Amino acid sequence: MKHTAAILCLAVCLPFMFTIQGCSSTRAVRPPPVIEQGRPATGRQPPLVDAERARQPRQAPEMSEQSPAVVALLDTAEQQANAGHLESAAASLERAIRIDPRNPVLWYHLATVRLAQNEPEQAEQLAIKSNSLATGSLLQQVRNWQLIARARRAGNNPTGAAAAEQQARELESRRVQYR
Amino acid sequence: MALRRKRGRKKSRRKVAHRRFSWPRFSWPRLATLLLVLLAGYITWLDYQVRSQFDGKRWSLPARVYARPLELYSGRELAPDQFAAELRALDYRSVPYPHQPGEFSRNRDVFHLISRPFAFWDAEETARNLRIGFDKIRITGLTDSGGRPISIARLDPVLVGSFYPSQHEDRVLLQLGSVPVALTDALIAVEDRGFYEHHGIAPLEILRALWANIRAGGIVQGGSTLTQQLAKNFFLTSKRTLSRKLNEALIALLLELHYRKDEILEAYLNEVYLGQDGDRAIHGFGLASHFYFDRPLAELTAGQYALLVGLVKGPSYYNPQRHPDRARARRDLVLDIMVERGLIESEEALRAKEGGLGVIQHGENAINNFPAFLDLVRRQLRRDYRDEDITSEGLRIFTTLDPQVQWRLEKILETRLRDLERGAAAGSLEAAAVVTSVQGGEVLALAGGRRPGYAGFNRALDASRQVGSLLKPAVYLTALEKPGSYTLATLLDDSPLSWTAPNGNVWSPRNYDKTSHGMVPLYLALAHSYNVATARLGLTLGIESVIDTLKRIGVERHLKPYPSLLLGAVELSPLEVTRMYQTFASGGFRMPLRAITAVLASDNSPLQRYALNVRAVVAPDANALITTALWFAAREGTGRALYQSLPGEQDVAGKTGTTDDLRDSWFAGFTSDRLGVVWIGRDDNKSTGLTGSSGALRLWRDLFAGFHSTGRIPPAVGTVEYQWIDPHSGLLADAGCQDGVQLPFIGGSAPLDSAPCAAGRHDLPKAIDWFRGLFE
Repeated sequence: MKHTAAILCLAVCLPFMFTIQGCSSTRAVRPPPVIEQGRPATGRQPPLVDAERARQPRQAPEMSEQSPAVVALLDTAEQQANAGHLESAAASLERAIRIDPRNPVLWYHLATVRLAQNEPEQAEQLAIKSNSLATGSLLQQVRNWQLIARARRAGNNPTGAAAAEQQARELESRRVQYR
Repeated sequence: MALRRKRGRKKSRRKVAHRRFSWPRFSWPRLATLLLVLLAGYITWLDYQVRSQFDGKRWSLPARVYARPLELYSGRELAPDQFAAELRALDYRSVPYPHQPGEFSRNRDVFHLISRPFAFWDAEETARNLRIGFDKIRITGLTDSGGRPISIARLDPVLVGSFYPSQHEDRVLLQLGSVPVALTDALIAVEDRGFYEHHGIAPLEILRALWANIRAGGIVQGGSTLTQQLAKNFFLTSKRTLSRKLNEALIALLLELHYRKDEILEAYLNEVYLGQDGDRAIHGFGLASHFYFDRPLAELTAGQYALLVGLVKGPSYYNPQRHPDRARARRDLVLDIMVERGLIESEEALRAKEGGLGVIQHGENAINNFPAFLDLVRRQLRRDYRDEDITSEGLRIFTTLDPQVQWRLEKILETRLRDLERGAAAGSLEAAAVVTSVQGGEVLALAGGRRPGYAGFNRALDASRQVGSLLKPAVYLTALEKPGSYTLATLLDDSPLSWTAPNGNVWSPRNYDKTSHGMVPLYLALAHSYNVATARLGLTLGIESVIDTLKRIGVERHLKPYPSLLLGAVELSPLEVTRMYQTFASGGFRMPLRAITAVLASDNSPLQRYALNVRAVVAPDANALITTALWFAAREGTGRALYQSLPGEQDVAGKTGTTDDLRDSWFAGFTSDRLGVVWIGRDDNKSTGLTGSSGALRLWRDLFAGFHSTGRIPPAVGTVEYQWIDPHSGLLADAGCQDGVQLPFIGGSAPLDSAPCAAGRHDLPKAIDWFRGLFE
């Protein structure tokens, strides 16, 4: 019993420690090159009519610097998860999401907590949500797919888990390539 | 006659009875015994009643409903005046220098405050000394009093309402330990000096009162102990009869027999009747403190304690709001008694007498100011709790309501509808609105009518109205989810259409401007809300598949597969429309629209959390495409009036909706942070004279002009690529094309051919296309 609790805590906390470090490495990763083919060469862009912004390339916004408020809430969530208060940790993460709703790291942590609470389906959905916001970060996508794999395994879906692992590996090799 | 007959019958029955047993002879000891037995039985019964009432649920406590707590952190979007408004709603007192919780000072755009401790679901916040600096629209610095930075602080939340049981008794429950001694001492000094000595009744006091009453020729004095007063308040009606007096005395004795003085005093403090607010009875000092002074009991002054203690004698006669002179005289008398008993110094009493009564005028406190939102909260609670639990168990309900957004919405509804009515009959228009957070699906504000403080028909939840063009995005999404067949650049046919139903009926939809627009690219057909192109597209896709899409993105109502559905001949409530657009706004995720985040029991133990749950229902790339079309709708299409007054470079996606004869005016739109759905119409379903863009959109725009979103719409999606497109041909554009626009495409679905206007500019890609074509 004690062991299970310890493992549970570890399962939740490890990714936390990982990401607080990981955030800086996320920023260090160069974004994948934007495919230029087909876009008119610079200087030859069509004349901009009234809706100027419609015609500008729409790229991923820079991943926001982690604000101190969000970091503080991540710390709180980590402590709560450490103490076995998983639902309180989830509540703290939701507070962080309210402050920075498009931060994929926060959704990923919430997914981790849900998995630790044995809610693999919601964990997978939250990881998909994180993925949808992590366009600029291959590292975060790799983590999400790894989490999805764990969630599917927990949900008795080994085939799906293997597919997710495959996806994680492919993204990882692309990530290493771009480095 | 009747009397005699009755007697006769009695006699005969007696005769019959006589044969079985003989009636006992009358004797005084026997009668006394009988009376004693009856009395003992009565007392036993009364004792049982008293104990079960006192031990069991002593008071039914209404549920307390809180707004979202205000999170303070550097960078948060919040203007200093908005912050000041929030502090007012929280009853923080403006003082020169704050030194206890609930006080603040303001020096231009720098606030210094001491927050109140508060127990939340996830943690307890302690009182903190905070300095908060602002620029015009956000918090620029948050430190403690020593200037050390604080990353985040959370204020106690605004109490926005209570759910009362039917008899509308209300109270803020106090525990004796938390009641200031100054108050209890004053109470005992004034109402019952012998409280700690007597056994429930004080015969000498009663005799004294009796003598006073005889002299006055009527009842002028009570002489009741606190215990008797509690008995009266707690168990009996207010009639002044002898039997009630006897009962009261009996109950008082029984209470003293079973319970400690402290328990009795605590019950008294919570039970005593201290005023009336409409049909809401104000019971107990805890609530009275909020009711009269808008602040917790612990934060009151000696003069205010004296006023409350003075009210016990007659809450209506000494009502400080209606009879300030009587209340003042009574308060001063209590202050004198407090000095006489050594509870306060005479200088303090003098100061208190010089001060005003300090009571607030009503209408100022926020209690149940947001009936439409509370209605939604109550409905969501009913899924998990019984009605009597909601009204009597003292639940603490934490909601998602953002008072800043709600206040803004209410103000705009009031002023904007009046403007829109110019020329029309004043007061004829009605409105409803819902505002949510884009990623969390939290209901931030809700209005069920144009007078949001008025609890009536909740149009946001209960008005089912035709949605018109608001439905069209579902048709276009169904198409865009087939990237092999449809892209934003696909040309759609807007030429006249006659469709014959299987039963022989012919359907010929027409455009709002009564003209045909020929071949139009898909994104513009939605942006300009062309009916014919949409109808043709929907019929090609199949009505059932559009209904499937609607179900998937959150429309739970049963929909009949009529072709008119494609143009929005479907009745939905504003909240249902919000659910549908929430899916678009959040990037293709469905989520429950939450008004509640957590429920705590009255002792702060956690009962239930309403967690953030999401479900991916639309692929991010297809969602990015439909959002782009809605962005064009807000920028260049039917919603273009928007950009005239939104501050900054806010990205908005949205759709107008107008129904036949201008009966309904809708706008559903979102930025990267918030989603808003606004409806304007009339309860009698007559014409409003407004289109979606001349009515609801203007209201939406005024509301969102107060927000500052910075995120882009649509957000970047990895599997989407952008291409320059010539909207006339739907093909690749280059510098030669006057009207080129950049559109997103799901990977591999962009057109490969260049537009006529792009001749010569795309030699290389073109050659490759031609080359590739050879091998396919």
